[in-house]
This record gives sequence, C-alpha cells and structure tokens, in this order.
Amino acid sequence: MPALVAESLEKSFVTGSVRADVLRGLSIEIEAGELTLVSGPSGCGKSTLLAILSGLLKPDAGRAIALGQDLARLAPLELERFRLHHTGFVFQGFNLFPALDALEQVALPLGYLGLDDATARARARRALEEVGLDNRLALRPAELSGGEKQRVAIARALAKEPQLLFADEPTSALDAANGQIVIDTLHRIAKTHGATVLCVSHDPRLVAHADRVLAMEDGRILADRRIAAADRVANVS
Amino acid sequence: MVPLARKTLVYEWRRFLPSLFAVAFSGLLLLVQAALVFGIFESAAVYITRSGGDLWVGHPGTQSIELGRPIPNDTEIRLRMDPDVARVEPFIWIDGDWRGPADRGGLSVFVSGVDTRHDAMVFADVLPPSLRASLDEPDGVIVDRADLAKLGLGVGGRAVVNGHRVRIVGVANGLRALGGVNIVASLDTARRLDNDHGGTEVAYYVVRLRDGADADAARARLQPATATKRYEVWTRDAFAHRAVTYWMFETGAGLGVVLLALVVFCVGAIITSQTLMGAVAGSIREYATLHALGVAFGDLRRVVLQQAGWVGAAGLAVGGVLTAIVVVIAKHRDVPVQLDALTVGACAALVMAIALVSGLAAVRALRHADPAMLLR
Repeated sequence: MPALVAESLEKSFVTGSVRADVLRGLSIEIEAGELTLVSGPSGCGKSTLLAILSGLLKPDAGRAIALGQDLARLAPLELERFRLHHTGFVFQGFNLFPALDALEQVALPLGYLGLDDATARARARRALEEVGLDNRLALRPAELSGGEKQRVAIARALAKEPQLLFADEPTSALDAANGQIVIDTLHRIAKTHGATVLCVSHDPRLVAHADRVLAMEDGRILADRRIAAADRVANVS
Repeated sequence: MVPLARKTLVYEWRRFLPSLFAVAFSGLLLLVQAALVFGIFESAAVYITRSGGDLWVGHPGTQSIELGRPIPNDTEIRLRMDPDVARVEPFIWIDGDWRGPADRGGLSVFVSGVDTRHDAMVFADVLPPSLRASLDEPDGVIVDRADLAKLGLGVGGRAVVNGHRVRIVGVANGLRALGGVNIVASLDTARRLDNDHGGTEVAYYVVRLRDGADADAARARLQPATATKRYEVWTRDAFAHRAVTYWMFETGAGLGVVLLALVVFCVGAIITSQTLMGAVAGSIREYATLHALGVAFGDLRRVVLQQAGWVGAAGLAVGGVLTAIVVVIAKHRDVPVQLDALTVGACAALVMAIALVSGLAAVRALRHADPAMLLR
C-alpha cells in the first residue's frame, strides 16, 4: 500500500474577487522508503499539495490518505495526534527557537510525545549524530551556520522517528554545498529508516538526488519519472 | 520536558521587557492609588483612631468628626452614672478664623480643645505627655508639622484666632486631616476662643470603660432611648468607620476614585496585553512549526500563559519595589499614604490577573500560528 495517496485533489484560494485554482484534480501515490521530489515553478501548487497530504490543509474536493487514514475524517485533535506520532516537517526558514541549544530544539517535541527527559535527550543526541552535528549539541541557532541550522531542523523532525517526512524548499536558503548535504541527509533517512520523504522544491539541483521526481505545473502533475540509481549523484555526506 | 517558556524569557528578555514594565507600572499605579485612597480617607478618622477611649459621644447623626456640634453639658453626668464607665473626657471642637502674618490672609481652622493631663485619651498617640503639657501655657496651641508652611509661622509664632491671641508652643506629627488645618489647644484655651457658645459646651465626650467591660453593651445602655435624642453614642471603631465612609461615599470623591481605579486597571490590561501579544508574535513561526509537528494547541497555550505568569511575577516584584520607594518618599513628605497586607494582596492579585488575561489575549496571536502559513 502506498504511504501517501492523493485522489482527485482540488483546492482553490480566493483573494478578494480573484479565484486561483491551485490544484486541479490531482492524483498521485507515493511509496515508502523513497525520496520523492515534487518540482515545479513557484505558484504551481506544490506546497499546497504538501500541506494537504500532511494534514495541515483540507482540500476542497478529493481525498488525501496518509498511512491508510483518510485525513478528512480525523477531528482536529486526532489530526494533531496523527501529526505528532507520524509526521516530521522541515521548512525553508528553519524556525528554531533562539533560546534553545541544538539538543533542546530536538528534544522539545519529544517531550510532548510523552518521553521522559533522559530518553528524549538520548534520542535527540542520536538524531543530531545522524545529521553530523554531534559536536554542536550545546550551540544556539545564533552560533550555527545556515546549513547546520537546517540539519538541526531535520534532526528535530527525525528524532520523532516519523513514517512521513515532509520538506518544503529545505535548501532554498542554503548554498550549494550545504544544500547537497541536506538533500543527501533526507535521502538517507528514506533509505535507512524506511520513511516516506516528500520534498517540494523548485531547486533543479535536487533532481539528481531523488528517487522519483514529479514535475508539477498549474495544479497538475506533468511528468512522473524515476531516477535510476546509476544516474543518481552518490551520497557525499 | 524542555522548559521552553522560561528559557525563552531568560534568553530573549529584551523582547519581554516592555510587558514587564507594563505590569510593573500597572502594579505601581494600583498600589499607590490604593495607598493614597486609604491614606486620605483614613485621615478623615485620624482624630478618632489616634485617640484612646472606647466610646465616643456626640451630636446625634454626626457623620464625621469635623461636623461635630455642641451637646448638652449634663451628658457628662449621665455617662458617669454608668457603672462600667471609668473615665469621661470632654473634647471641644470649634471653628476658628486664623489670622497669621499679614501677607497670608485668613484661614479657616478647626480648634480642638483637649485635656492636658499626661494620661488624657484624646490624641493619645499624637501628643506625648511633655508636648501635651506645653498646652497649659495660656493661649498656647500645637499645629501639625505639615501645616507650618501654610500658616507661615514657626514654633513661637503668634497669630489671632476668633479675635483672641494664640502662640504656637509645639509641633506634632499626624494631626493633618481632610478638610482643613487643625490646631490643638487646652480645654481652657479652646473655651476662650469660642465666641458662639461662651465656652460652656463641648462637641464630644470620649469615654473609657473599665477593663473587661463590653463596649457594645455599654454603648447600648448609654444610648438615649427616646426618639428625639440629644446625643448619640458610638464605639470608637464605628465612629472612625463612619467618618471614613462619609468621606469615601458621601463626598463624591469616593466614586471618582473607584472610576480611576477602573481606568487604571483597563489601561494596564490593554498596554500589558498589547506588549505581551507583540512579544509572543515574535515566536509565531516557531510555534507554528511545533504545531505542525503535532504539539497540541493547548500545550502551546500553556507555554504562553507560563510566560505571562513569569512576566507578571517579575513585573509585580519591580512594581512592589517602586511602590515601596514612593510610599517611603510620601511618608517622608507627610503625604497621607497607607497600605495593609490585604490591600497589597488584592492589588497583586489584580495585577497578576491583568498579566494572565493578557496572556490569554496573546494566545489569540497563536491562533494565527497556522502551520500552513509556513508553506505559503
């Protein structure tokens, strides 16, 4: 069974008297254990697709099914619980709390999962090691580079051990080298954790790092292609 | 659990400083206002509360001490006949027209005529025996230190009251009251200054009961039973309370003060909530990310309320220190201020309520922490 299913999704936004159709009957299935990249120009609806598949936004029509759950059938509190237990997010603007050091940033959501302090910190440390930041545990965001901040954000999403990991333009604010580290980290997470990683980006450099690329334009999927392992850029991190 | 609220407060204290000051000044305003209100209105009863005795006897229906009117002289005999009455002391209260130095014009004053014996009850707390004894000098008067400037005279200065010469023989603290200058004289001097009644009538008798006597029972016995009373008897506390109530609710000043307190509360609440909302809105993207990660809205609300609580507590501490400074300065300058634990507690609770209500208002900013906004 695919981890994420979109069935004839439709969504439009109304601004004043202008109505913009963002998704027009979009259907896709996304498999676990892969890094799926949705690429396309800005405004093509890719972020809206991610928001709907992650349960942050409700579609006007169609169904969004995540891990076999029809998200529209979940009450708001159930949706919060679903996100808490199954999803991780990485955003373009890292959104780290200025007051917390790297270890605390990652441990914070774990506390809400009900883990005790020691377990949360141990798991947070493992996640930070996995993104290569084991020597940055005690640093606050102001003391970290942009790439390091995004890796802390990835560790924060990863530490929850989610089955679904959503990334929205995770490399847009980063230089090429850091961008590559971040996308490789996401790819590795898909492989080693068997997680479903859905990444949305207009950055063409990422295409070579994905398992599957969905090209999107005007609210529809234009092309759906798999990147052969041989064509994929080798993991560098 | 990572203490997000506290860590953020400590690390980003500059962001919360405006809210802290808003709370501090709300607290300062409320406390100082309360101190002034109680100080001013309690001073309406200062002659009663700073005198000894158990019962006050005066003209029927007298609302406040400065409204005293003469009562019949045979009242004293009636009072002395009660077995529980240990001592009866007359208290003369007359209006006076004070003429001091030529450039000061005239002043309306109240003249209190008091017993000069060392253990007298009237003004027992204000006049130490030696000062009281100085009133035995014919035409000698005592004034409050705070009124010296108004009178334009120092100790030894001479003036004319109701056409009779007087001399300031001493200065006391704590005689300052609402409604005018009060000067103290001996009973003899006061009688000489009373042109209207020929010095034969008094306004009050202060009664001391025997040890262990029940003041309420004695009051009931001494109260005239007839419909047309010639005098009325109050316990000391009841008469003091009567004076405070009169000034607070019958003079229009009281309602004004309540209105002012309401305005202070509202202004404090608005400014605090605005600044706190601003401070919370600064973290809106981080909160939205937590919400996206599945942290419940209720948990985020708890973080904000916790911050509001800390800001409230810190602001209250600052406001308390500022209030203490203001009160000390006010006392030093003879401004009537008075704060008791109950008032301080009530003001603190009110300020804390402002902070928490502001926190709840700031939670509304969180409502906009819709994670989907991070994807736009």
